[in-house]
Order: sequence, then structure tokens, then C-alpha cells
Amino acid sequence: MDKWECLVCGYVYDPAVGDPDGDIPPGTPFEDLPDDWVCPNCGAEKDMFEKLE
Amino acid sequence: MRFVIIGNGVAGVTAARALAEAGAEVEAYTQEAHHYYPRPRLHELLTGEIELEEIHFYSPVWYEERGIAVHLGTEVVRLDTMAKRIALADGREILYDRLLLATGSRPFIPSIEGMNKEGVFTLRTIEDALAIRRWAKEAKRAVVVGGGLLGLEAARAFMVLGLRVAVLEQGAYLLPRQLDAEGGALLKELIGAMGIEVVLEASSQAILGNGTPPPTLGGIEGGLASGVLLQDGRRIEGDLILVSAGVRCDVRLAQEAGLEVNRGVVVDEHLRTSAEDIYAAGDVAEFQGRVYGIIPAAIEQARAAARNMLGEEAAYQGTIPSNTLQVVGIDCTSIGVVHPPEGEGYQELRKSEAGVYKKLVLKDGRLVGVILLGDKKDVAPISQLIRKGADVSRYAERLLDEDFDWKGLL
Repeated sequence: MDKWECLVCGYVYDPAVGDPDGDIPPGTPFEDLPDDWVCPNCGAEKDMFEKLE
Repeated sequence: MRFVIIGNGVAGVTAARALAEAGAEVEAYTQEAHHYYPRPRLHELLTGEIELEEIHFYSPVWYEERGIAVHLGTEVVRLDTMAKRIALADGREILYDRLLLATGSRPFIPSIEGMNKEGVFTLRTIEDALAIRRWAKEAKRAVVVGGGLLGLEAARAFMVLGLRVAVLEQGAYLLPRQLDAEGGALLKELIGAMGIEVVLEASSQAILGNGTPPPTLGGIEGGLASGVLLQDGRRIEGDLILVSAGVRCDVRLAQEAGLEVNRGVVVDEHLRTSAEDIYAAGDVAEFQGRVYGIIPAAIEQARAAARNMLGEEAAYQGTIPSNTLQVVGIDCTSIGVVHPPEGEGYQELRKSEAGVYKKLVLKDGRLVGVILLGDKKDVAPISQLIRKGADVSRYAERLLDEDFDWKGLL
């Protein structure tokens, strides 16, 4: 599964880890994150993330 | 339709991508030698926590796949708004149908004596970070002029490199844009406990120094920085001086071409400048008197500019300023209105305890701003509630409770 990087602060969302503080269990692909999910590090919205190539 | 972009930073790349996704052919010209990279990560390059290959964001293939032609190391020297043409440093002239100015900003260089001594730096580009890294190997004590975001991130980096560090801030408290007096005082205390010296109300008068740099650095002729002289007469010693005193919009091209320029290139809600078919976005743009200088604004403006350039009417309504950083492990978040004017329906709720400062700003009961220092619990839901302008008035002081259920309000 692809990792996605926050364009604002560099935080990397790793699907293998998920976002436990945000109620996102490990194994959740980025595409499955809710629309109102935000970067746990800086609060940037989902559309500020880019897939890491 | 020829879409040309000047600048390949956040705004430039974001607009290029949006235009390309709509099927447009895009050309971007940048004087940078490197493809786009996120500047907030330069302090990690400085310490060696990341290496050059890791700081780039998109590979050259990424641009090719999307039909975005990026001309690196190519400075644009003149803009002719009548002929709809730009002139490059190598003499070539490029025609455009729609042009985006995304030239960004440059570090502000205070006009104080000694700025040209060896060992004095600004930090904006990869080249800067690598030069500072080399110099830091021989240095013992860093002085950072400016206690804003960049200065504090750099101070941490110098500490990691084993230098002693002093930060000089001319204001009454650190991070003057993001914090308030109480938050600033707590941050100074927390940073001080980590070993970084902070001098407030410190206006620099001159950079001091003579001497010759060691042979490992080329033995260049000229003064070698040895410290900073303050206006009040105090001398702060240092053999590496970083000037992080803010940025200025890179408006030269626009100004010489006769566009309306204030502090930045003035744009309307469609990101149009005063010249036909020329748009601006990012650090260089000024919207309703504001120059944001932050990435979220660059992204939002660039996306709106691209849509308008494609002929769709997309209104940009400003950006809620948002900053998050970690300084030597200290979480610091500042979103929205944090310096509310007197009266006008604003209310501040503040709490300071056990190394954590929290301030919530409400306007007519709606959440409009937050400062959270020393903790980042609930930053994400609070940030969303500010974006929504959520009415939180009925919770009043409970909002400050450690265990307040912010997620429950979404």
C-alpha cells in the first residue's frame, strides 16, 4: 500500500501504521480515510497529501 | 493555449499539476537548480537527518508523465505584458497566453554592517543548507538572528550538530506571529531548559568580526564573523550567524513590468494581477492586503489560479493561517486568529499548567483561533472546527478541560 506525504509539514501517512489517535487502524489505505480526516501533525486536509512515488 | 509558470516552488508545482490534470500543456521556468522540494524540511538536511536525495518531492519522471516541462536553472529576466512574452537570461523569448507568477519570496537581509562577513548565512535553498552544514563543522557557537519559525527550527538543528546556540528576537516574545505573550514566555522557558539561549528585545546593529577562515573552508579573504552587536550595546558571541529575519516577496519582475505591487503582487479573488492574462499565487501574491508566506495558502491560491486560468470562475476567499512545528520536541500549533483586536465580539479562553499553554479564541461564540503549546492532543479536530467556524459557545470554560471531547463536536 502506498504511503502519502503531507505537502504542508512532511508528515508521512503509512497505511501499515494507520493513525491510532485519529481512530484509523493499521492497514487502512489512504484512499479509505474519511474525507474529513486531517494530518495528525499539522491539521492539513486530506487534499494536501501527495502519494509518495 | 500556452500556459507558462514562473517559479517551481509549492505554488508553481501545484498550479502546474492542476493545469496538466485538465489536459493543458504547461511550461515552468525556475532559477532554482533543483526540482521542487519542501522548504520546511531544510533544517533536516542541515543536520544530516535526511540527505539530498530524500528531500526532493517529485521525480523528473513525474513531470514528464504529466506533460509539464520544467526548465531548471533558467532565470526569467523580463516580462513584456503587451507582447505577452517573457525573456530568459540566456536571451530566449517565450510567448504565453496565460502566465502565472509564482516567484515566491527571498530572505530579508537587514541593512546592518557586516552582513557580508564569512560565516553569515540565510536559509532558503538547498545550497544554503549545505553551505551552513559545511561551515557548522568548524563552528562552535551559532547565533540566530530572528526568533520566528525558521530561526527556531534552525536553532534546534545547530544544537543537534553540537553547537551552542543563542537566538536573538527583536520582539517581546518568540514566534510573534503565531504566539502571544504568555505562550511566548512558556516557549522561551521550555527552549531554555533544552539549552538554547534566548535574548528578547534584541535588535541587531552589526555583525562583528575580523580574522581569516580556516584553510578547510578555502581561506577566503575578508572578515570572519565573531558575533553580533546589539543596539543596546550588548555583544553576543558566535562564529556562525544565521539571519532568519523574515522574507520579502520576489516582486522585481512584476514591478519592472508595471504590475500593481504593494508588498506583494496584488491579486483579486480570481488570483488575477493588474495585467491581463497574468495571475499570481504563493509567497509572491498579496490578497486583500495579506501576504501569507505559508504553504497552505500557496496551495489554495495555486489551485484557484489554475482553475481561473482554465476559464472556470473560482473565487479564492483567503486562507486560515495555520502553523505546526516541533522545536526540540516541543509541540506548537497556531491556527487562525490568535491576536484578536479589542472588543469586536472576541473572547479568549486561556489555560497554562504543567508546561502546556492553551488559548482558544472565539468570535460571537464561534471558534476562530487556537494556540496550543507543549501538547498536540486534539489539534486535528480543533483545526477542523475552526475551518467550519463551529459555534462552541455553550461549552464555555469546559473547552479548556484536559479531557474535553473535541472529536465529539465534529
